[in-house]
Amino acid sequence: MGNIFRNILYQGRNSYRDKSFIFWILLYPIIMAIFFYTAFSGIMDIDFKNIEVGIEEENSIRTVFESIDILNVNITPEKDSIDKLNKGDIEGFIDKNLNLSVKKSGINQTIIKEILDQIRQMGELNVPFEKFDFETNYVIDRNQRANSIIILFYSLIGMVSIYGVFPGIEIATTIQANLSNVAKRMNISPLRKGEFLFSGVIISLLLNIASNILLLLFITYVLKIKLLFDIGPSALLILVGNLFGITFGILLGVSNKLKLNAKIILSIAITLVLSFFSGMMNPEIKVMIDKSFPIIGKINPISIITNNLYRINLLGNTSGLDTGIYTLIGWIAVLNLISYGFLRRKTYDSI
Amino acid sequence: MMVKVKNLVKRYKELIALDHFSMEVEEGEILGLLGPNGCGKTTAINCILSLLNFDKGEIEILGKTMTPNSYDIKKQIGIVPQEVSIFENLTVEENTDYFCGLYIEDKSTRKKYVKEAIDFVGLNDYKKFLPKKLSGGLKRRLNIACGIAHKPRLIFLDEPTVAVDAQSRNFILDGIKRLNKEGSTIIYTTHYLEEAEQLCNRIIIMDKGKNLVSGTNEELKAMITTTEKIVVGFGNNIENIIEKLKSLPHVIDIEKKEDNYVIKFENGLNNLTNLIDLIKENNLIYTKLYSQLPTLNDVFLELTGKELRD
Repeated sequence: MGNIFRNILYQGRNSYRDKSFIFWILLYPIIMAIFFYTAFSGIMDIDFKNIEVGIEEENSIRTVFESIDILNVNITPEKDSIDKLNKGDIEGFIDKNLNLSVKKSGINQTIIKEILDQIRQMGELNVPFEKFDFETNYVIDRNQRANSIIILFYSLIGMVSIYGVFPGIEIATTIQANLSNVAKRMNISPLRKGEFLFSGVIISLLLNIASNILLLLFITYVLKIKLLFDIGPSALLILVGNLFGITFGILLGVSNKLKLNAKIILSIAITLVLSFFSGMMNPEIKVMIDKSFPIIGKINPISIITNNLYRINLLGNTSGLDTGIYTLIGWIAVLNLISYGFLRRKTYDSI
Repeated sequence: MMVKVKNLVKRYKELIALDHFSMEVEEGEILGLLGPNGCGKTTAINCILSLLNFDKGEIEILGKTMTPNSYDIKKQIGIVPQEVSIFENLTVEENTDYFCGLYIEDKSTRKKYVKEAIDFVGLNDYKKFLPKKLSGGLKRRLNIACGIAHKPRLIFLDEPTVAVDAQSRNFILDGIKRLNKEGSTIIYTTHYLEEAEQLCNRIIIMDKGKNLVSGTNEELKAMITTTEKIVVGFGNNIENIIEKLKSLPHVIDIEKKEDNYVIKFENGLNNLTNLIDLIKENNLIYTKLYSQLPTLNDVFLELTGKELRD
């Protein structure tokens, strides 16, 4: 136990004194947040107030939709729906089988889809629609939330929550004898690899979560954007995201002999691509991916975190949380298994 | 027996890095592994320490077979790797404490050992410094402190003086002698023959992964035919007396090195007197004249046909 504590202490010191670590873990996310705030606020405001939805008169969910304050229900026969979508009179049309037709992708279309998904799910569970207060669950404090810039911030949180990738790479480099000089020395000592890895994961989690909290505090109190309304599930998601990031970093670290800087650049590139697919550069991308390649949204860890943070906090919907957490845990298990294949080696053909 | 290596073979694809390499190290020795760069010294150490796989051979340390899981053996070993292997963001004191802590759990003992190690390498004034503030020589000293702080019985020092200034080099060599006096057995790899001569009780000369010869400094020098070298520089042309020089008693070879001639002798006495007599008889002017005993470089040269520094 003493050894683990000492390892945590020294690995922590070694990390937080590292300027590149400080930059990527602490400063870079804040810079990105400031960038998003200055670049996108004001130009991306979308008014959720009157989302025009087309629906046939005899559709069973018409009354439910009419009761939702942010939706304007247009009674539209199916044959006219395409014309109205083309003209932009309605932003989505729901047919009698509860299928949603849209002309373009956007936040309003996403909102309609989320509500429709919720109704479908309740139908499958035989829960009467009247029991669900859509207005309350979907639109709390609308003035705050009715701003699509928030989605960028959820995506940013998603990205930085997997920034455990950096300390993960550092852990791997420090313990794998074929990767660094320090690691050679460590492997000649009586240190148990498992002990070192465990300490590394703990300190990486602590440091990365601390940086996540700092970013959230910055966004909340400096940029005045409240992101987290439901702390419990959000924190769980961010925690599992952190574990994913560290595991991913360990794999990136042990699986190749690239230089440390090259690995860091590679990990930044990968996280940026995953963030891009999750809508960090433009929320429309997320909507497009969800529509055209839904599997990407379902397996992309940053999308999982972003979508769920968005659902939990913006729509008050935790229905996808379990699946999201299980998918991330699945990722963690697979990555760990592959990393183990590399980490179990104690002697090398060449170093 | 502290270390016993028998018929160690290590191949890198077509290249044979260690070719049936064997060695034995007794407790209390300073054993030097001497050979040119790339001769297999570091590979041998990495195999002995179970960092590298090897194709064939047996390795025992402290009477037990060495494996990657031999934690009880590892506790008694210290390593000073060729490359400086420290944490760049921990201070001198923290680095020493961290590595010492991998071996010594008791906090008060560790504190004492860390202090002694820092004193030992002369870094007391720098103990709160981060490595980036240290010169190359001081970093090497820290590298040593991290390897010896836990007072190991067996210490491997892999070319610890490479790229070190003369002052730090002497400091390091004196320190190694002190460690040995305090009871540690040392295995020291180097390609500097002067260091091996100055430091080691016994030397193994390596080339192309093989143990060419081993013995004390004197034993190794006694293995070769050259017993004396006389270096002479002439102020005039001596082409016509080269044959006379060669006919001097006991001369085995004459080699021109820059402006000087190196005349090698085997056995015999009065070689210098005979040479001076010849110079006088032929009215030659000499600019320098001195006698040298053979060095380990001569041993290496005679065994391999090339110089240690080639």
